[in-house]
Amino acid sequence: MSTERGPLLFKDIDTPDLATLDVYRKGGGYDVLGEVLGNKTPDECIDVVKAAGLRGRGGAGFPTGMKWSFVPKQTPKAKYVVCNADESEPGTFKDRELMEKNPHLLIEGMILAGWAIQSHVGYIYLRGEFEYIQRILDRAIADAKAAKLLGERIAGSDFRYDIVTHLGAGAYICGEETALLSSLEGYRGQPRLKPPFPAVEGLYASPTVVNNVETLMNVPHILKHGAAWFRQWGTEKSPGTKVLSVSGPVERPGNYEVSMGLPLSRLLNEQCGGMRDGMKVKAVIPGGSSVPLLPADMLDTGLDFESMAAAGTMLGSGGVIVIDDQTCIVDALYNITRFYEHESCGKCTPCREGTYWMSEVFERLESGHGRERDIDLLWDVSDNILGKSFCALGDAAAMPVMGAIKHFRPEFEHHVQHKRCLVNRRKPERVQEPVGASA
Amino acid sequence: MSTVCRVTINDRVVEVPAGTLVTDAARVAEVHVPIFCSQHKLPPLGACRICVVEIGVPKLGPDRQPMTAPGGRPEIAWMPKVQTGCTTFVTDGMHVRTESEAAVKARKGVMEFLLVNHPLDCPVCDEGGECQLQDLAFAFGHDFSRMDEAKRTFDSEDLGPVVKKEANRCIVCMRCVRYCDEIMGDDALTAHQRGVWTEISSFNRQPLECEQCGNCIEVCPVGALTALPYRFKARPWDLRQHITICPYCSNGCSVRLGVRGNEVLRVRGTEHRGVNQEYLCVRGRFGYEFVNHAERLSAPLLKLGGALTPAGFDAAVAFTAARLREISAQHGPGAIAFLGGEKLTLEEQYLFQKLARGVIGTNHVDARTRFTAPVPGDGMLRATGGGRPLLTFDDLTRVQEVLVLGDDLQGESPLAQAQVIRGQHHTGLHLTIVHPRRVKLARPKFRGDHLAPTPGSELAVMHGLMRALLDLEEPEGLPADVAKGLPALRTALAEWTVEHAESLTGVPASAFRSAAERLRGAARKAVLFGRAYTEHPQAPALLQAIESLGWLSGALTAERSSVMYLGPQNNSQGALDMGLTPDLLPGYQPVAEAKGTYGAQWGRELPTERGLTAPEILRAAAEGKIKALWIVSDHWLKSAPDRALAEQALERCELVVVNDLFLTETARKAHVVFPAASFAEKEGVIVNCERRLQKSVRALTPRKGSRPDWEIFQAVARDLGASWSYRTAEDVFREIARLVPIVRGLSWAVLLPLGPQWSREAAPGMLAASRDGAPPAGEGLWLLGGGVLFLQGSLSSHGDLLPKLAKRARAFLNPGEAARLGVAEGEPIELAGPSGSLRLPVGIDDGVPAGAVFVPYAYPEVELNRLGAPAGAGLRVAARKAAVETIGA
Amino acid sequence: MSRTNPPLPREPGAGTPAMPAADRTAWVSAELLGPVVTGDKIRKEMEQAVQRYPNPRSAILPVLWILQREIGWLPPAALQLAARAVGLPEPEVFGIATFYTMFNLKPVGRHHLQVCMTLSCSLMGADRLFRHLERKLGIGHGETTPDGRFTLRRVECLAACGGGPCMQVNFDYRENVDETQVDRLLETLK
Ligand SMILES: Cc1cc2nc3c(=O)[nH]c(=O)nc-3n(C[C@H](O)[C@H](O)[C@H](O)COP(=O)(O)O)c2cc1C
Ligand code: SF4
Ligand code: FES
Repeated sequence: MSTERGPLLFKDIDTPDLATLDVYRKGGGYDVLGEVLGNKTPDECIDVVKAAGLRGRGGAGFPTGMKWSFVPKQTPKAKYVVCNADESEPGTFKDRELMEKNPHLLIEGMILAGWAIQSHVGYIYLRGEFEYIQRILDRAIADAKAAKLLGERIAGSDFRYDIVTHLGAGAYICGEETALLSSLEGYRGQPRLKPPFPAVEGLYASPTVVNNVETLMNVPHILKHGAAWFRQWGTEKSPGTKVLSVSGPVERPGNYEVSMGLPLSRLLNEQCGGMRDGMKVKAVIPGGSSVPLLPADMLDTGLDFESMAAAGTMLGSGGVIVIDDQTCIVDALYNITRFYEHESCGKCTPCREGTYWMSEVFERLESGHGRERDIDLLWDVSDNILGKSFCALGDAAAMPVMGAIKHFRPEFEHHVQHKRCLVNRRKPERVQEPVGASA
Repeated sequence: MSTVCRVTINDRVVEVPAGTLVTDAARVAEVHVPIFCSQHKLPPLGACRICVVEIGVPKLGPDRQPMTAPGGRPEIAWMPKVQTGCTTFVTDGMHVRTESEAAVKARKGVMEFLLVNHPLDCPVCDEGGECQLQDLAFAFGHDFSRMDEAKRTFDSEDLGPVVKKEANRCIVCMRCVRYCDEIMGDDALTAHQRGVWTEISSFNRQPLECEQCGNCIEVCPVGALTALPYRFKARPWDLRQHITICPYCSNGCSVRLGVRGNEVLRVRGTEHRGVNQEYLCVRGRFGYEFVNHAERLSAPLLKLGGALTPAGFDAAVAFTAARLREISAQHGPGAIAFLGGEKLTLEEQYLFQKLARGVIGTNHVDARTRFTAPVPGDGMLRATGGGRPLLTFDDLTRVQEVLVLGDDLQGESPLAQAQVIRGQHHTGLHLTIVHPRRVKLARPKFRGDHLAPTPGSELAVMHGLMRALLDLEEPEGLPADVAKGLPALRTALAEWTVEHAESLTGVPASAFRSAAERLRGAARKAVLFGRAYTEHPQAPALLQAIESLGWLSGALTAERSSVMYLGPQNNSQGALDMGLTPDLLPGYQPVAEAKGTYGAQWGRELPTERGLTAPEILRAAAEGKIKALWIVSDHWLKSAPDRALAEQALERCELVVVNDLFLTETARKAHVVFPAASFAEKEGVIVNCERRLQKSVRALTPRKGSRPDWEIFQAVARDLGASWSYRTAEDVFREIARLVPIVRGLSWAVLLPLGPQWSREAAPGMLAASRDGAPPAGEGLWLLGGGVLFLQGSLSSHGDLLPKLAKRARAFLNPGEAARLGVAEGEPIELAGPSGSLRLPVGIDDGVPAGAVFVPYAYPEVELNRLGAPAGAGLRVAARKAAVETIGA
Repeated sequence: MSRTNPPLPREPGAGTPAMPAADRTAWVSAELLGPVVTGDKIRKEMEQAVQRYPNPRSAILPVLWILQREIGWLPPAALQLAARAVGLPEPEVFGIATFYTMFNLKPVGRHHLQVCMTLSCSLMGADRLFRHLERKLGIGHGETTPDGRFTLRRVECLAACGGGPCMQVNFDYRENVDETQVDRLLETLK
């Protein structure tokens, strides 16, 4: 038994061979199936998840139990559970480790979700790069089937459930739930109109719940130990734990599972061992590149949905990107903006054209041709995307830029005035003089 | 939820039915909400975001009742974000703001984004002047100069001979792609790449494989897709626009002619008018070249000393009248016959037969020159229910079951096909196609059932279908006079079990049953048929069978259901209505009763015995019994069922008069040729296959030397002593509206462009079936005729584009048959019929059944009637590889 | 004014890459598709992929993956083959294949070096790493070494941000790769 890396999902994540069926079962894996299937009604299960206050870990933080309860009970159509394993939010790499090391927990979670909405088939949509994860999952699915834990008459009950893994092919937008469904149905991965929401008309126009990997992995624990037990972690409104992916120049980057509400600073200083070779934090993006950054003086914000919202940002997918004081904010945001330009699906005008335009403006700032009005232009273009785009990718592109301008306007202005970065250790060949000399 | 919603748009209140989109409600309120990606025939998309507005709904109090603010106005809960009006359906009490600060900023923002990568090349853009983006940019008067960075650029490309693509101008509204898929059923266009690099193109940038309809160009709101044939020809503001009726098929689409000087430079759809709105097929959109064609006749021709020589109009008229007088005096009026006229206007058709009956005194009048069997003048009318109201093309998209009998809609009725595809795509309409070939609508994509009978077994199929319907429970709602025919029908079809039908047709018994069940089961249904059955040697029996099928299936009794006849020409229906048939006067009045009807009005004793039908006239003329023929707007040598007979007839006749635009082979054989005005050069009414009367307008002055046919008829009639004095075609229509029951009381004023459909108290129908129906035995390959999309008659072949698209005429064989004959794609084969043979290159098509050869007849060089009568279905030919004979071969 | 040395490429590149014109019947003969056309195994694999879904078109990505695995890239003929396999119109399949970034519409080298350039990796020196590779291999983004050994590509976040700078060699993740390590790595990739 290795050292515990976290209270819940990461408790024994590093157990050797946890990915194999018998090791997983030794740890009590799949036991809850017997207790639930046939014994607890679907509604009872949904109620427990509601009581536990589990919220989506994919970004939106939507209450999972409530989402499940939107699925119509009486319908001639098939119902589907789709696991969103597209994990492509920059800064996020939690689902990858979770699935790589503990695939059976996901399978168990999907079976239970399937029972709760009375679905008989689930799909796991993996981003194209996760080809090796698909092999791990397929292996686990095969083992589970062989052990009658998946397929017909699961764990002695007369519930049947099957899981199919589906490999994407390189498109961030396919993480957006409706675009994911388009892609899974064999269309170009572009988002669809909501309403109708997936819970009513999703995959193949049938009721569908789309949940993130981490969300689903919480489900077996909740149904096993109950809502109260789950609520021993986290806050009133954000119960439970969250796996945070920390990246950037900290001593120990990686995934950390913490009880929600833990101040960001403690995560960085205690668990991640602070910054590398004497650098200081300039800002932190707490929830993946789609959310506004937090300047260094706001690092005591709690890692839960409410505190982050109060601080003007979001917990998002829990991708914590640490930006050090030697990095140029303008350059960093340029990088992020280019990402969204590249990933815009092109369906709607504001996102398609706006992200391109923003990159062009950033490009000009970067190459030292920036003009005073460009900063306001950036702000206004972002503002014209925000809330006007078809799906939230547009917002995701706009919000970080607006946040950065809000907190670091002087650095933008310096760019305009001095035709180069205030600091930039990332691009030595751009900054001739010793770093910081111009400050 | 109330079915009518009160919606407040910028303080204007309108009431619209539930299920209306906010953008449409705004149009009703006369508030301008711009749109790009939404197109009224396509479901909401909400991609371009230009239609953003602020939307609010009444706040509900704890009592679930709308709360009212002080002042009594309802309190409105405004949505935090702007919404797209093109995707939001109205609700009762909804409030919409299009001019609020938020709405205006959002809209301007989107507008600015649309121009980020849009080139500023309006001056050289064909769309310039009618570009929705340009219009909006002006409307905002906002200078979009904030974007001064480099634009993303693509190369322009030609996607085949019709579509020019300028991708830099594209705003990715996806109209073209969706229209191509969901209305045309072609999927030729697709979006490549993504994000700002999204580009509309074809598979690997190959020329588009599609109908070349150009509707993608029509629906493109900017200049990204433009028409190559029209490229740089003119600027829209230099063009006079005239909306008139398409000269080709019987669907009667409204076309918008773009005219400069006396020349048609382009044809477009009409956006929101007509039966077709923006839709046009390739013929309608690009088949206008003939109007200004150099070979148009420019003076009447008289045959003097064996040669046709130009003459003055009066001389030609005098000559014609004199000869008619002589022949009539010598041999009696019964020696004179009048053929053709399906392309004439209603007024001209009326005068043509009035000339025959009221001036000459003969009933030998028939427009149906292609028919191979004598069909009563009301044959098609009875088959469609005797005059019951017909479906509109709009309703055709909302029926649940469509049965197509023998027609390839792609070639014969493109609009009907588009409506059916649209219905299939959006309302789940189901298709049953009866056709020996795998025509477009029979493709898997359209999820229909394809009944592919062996050629020649058409009647057997009808019997199978009728029997399958009889085997279901009694049909409901049959009129008494029809119902009493049931027992007789049962006995007539006694041995026609579906199994028996299967044995004769090759169509599985189960297919008959499921087709019958679907037809009977569907609340709304349509049965479509056309020339494949009317020009069939067994046409009379087939038409009777179609009527019976209509009764048994409920297509003639159910709400919003019809049996429809899709005639071959744009005014085929008018020709029937106006009595261009030997047994009926205008309005389907029997010639026997002429005395009491038109006799009184036309001030002359009218012949009361039924005249000869077209096939009979053909024979009589060939035998020398008919001495004079007047052939109008019809290349008879090609359309007559038997080429040899027709040539003989023209040889033997003492007088042949031809009205046409071009010197066709038929015209060459004539003694008098009158140059006729084209559809764009005259006014008049055209009746389409919905029996809808639509007025065509005069967009051009007639080509020098040519006249509208009605003027020619009047001149001859007057010379023959008639007291006609019509100043305009409208005068003629006034007479029609006064005398002809089915259109009584109508006036030109109400007929443009979406006029009324005529209908009447239906004459009693009947149920019956002929006992026979077994396909005729015989040797060789079945000869399948059929239309092609790109050509229709001599009009379409006088131009460059359509013949180019149509490529060379070919005889299509399925791979097995080709292998058996030892011919490969492109190699020539010889088809030999009873009275002649034809040499054509082979086309391989696995949609053609074994034992048959498909030869599209629209090509000028294809003269199926050379092979022997009847040219329609039912003819068998010997086929062999056309090559030098070798010993033993 | 065009962009100087963009930290991220304009991908999907300037429009659809020029591909050899598609011969409608190429897939039957083309030796490109040899393995697919000859191998019943692969045919069967594609059929099984189609069987896994209620609606055949759902199998388009799996089928394209199979074809790319076998051929190394997706020539037009392969797209036509895929269209047939799942019963989609060829143009639509073309649109799908070009929507996603991981389908190679041009041939690629044996070792496809996909270097993540997104923020986290960039903070850890991805830019320097990429320039190093450019110099070392003498090729730029999207290019392939003449010997067909390496193709170099800038890609977006690979979900290995904690191990930045990182890259994927074909499907294998390589994390915390600095210049010295990458040199050693290249040695091992024959
Ligand atoms: C542009 C965009 C990208 C997204 N990417 C992901 C992703 O990679 N993984 C994920 O789980 N959710 C992603 N989401 C969130 C999903 O749309 C959806 O909210 C989530 O999968 C629901 O699952 P949950 O309720 O368990 O969080 C994304 C959303 C947007 C708008
Ligand atoms: S915001 Fe628009 S363009 Fe961007 S990803 Fe969503 S739908 Fe596509
Ligand atoms: S018209 Fe409404 S979004 Fe395009």
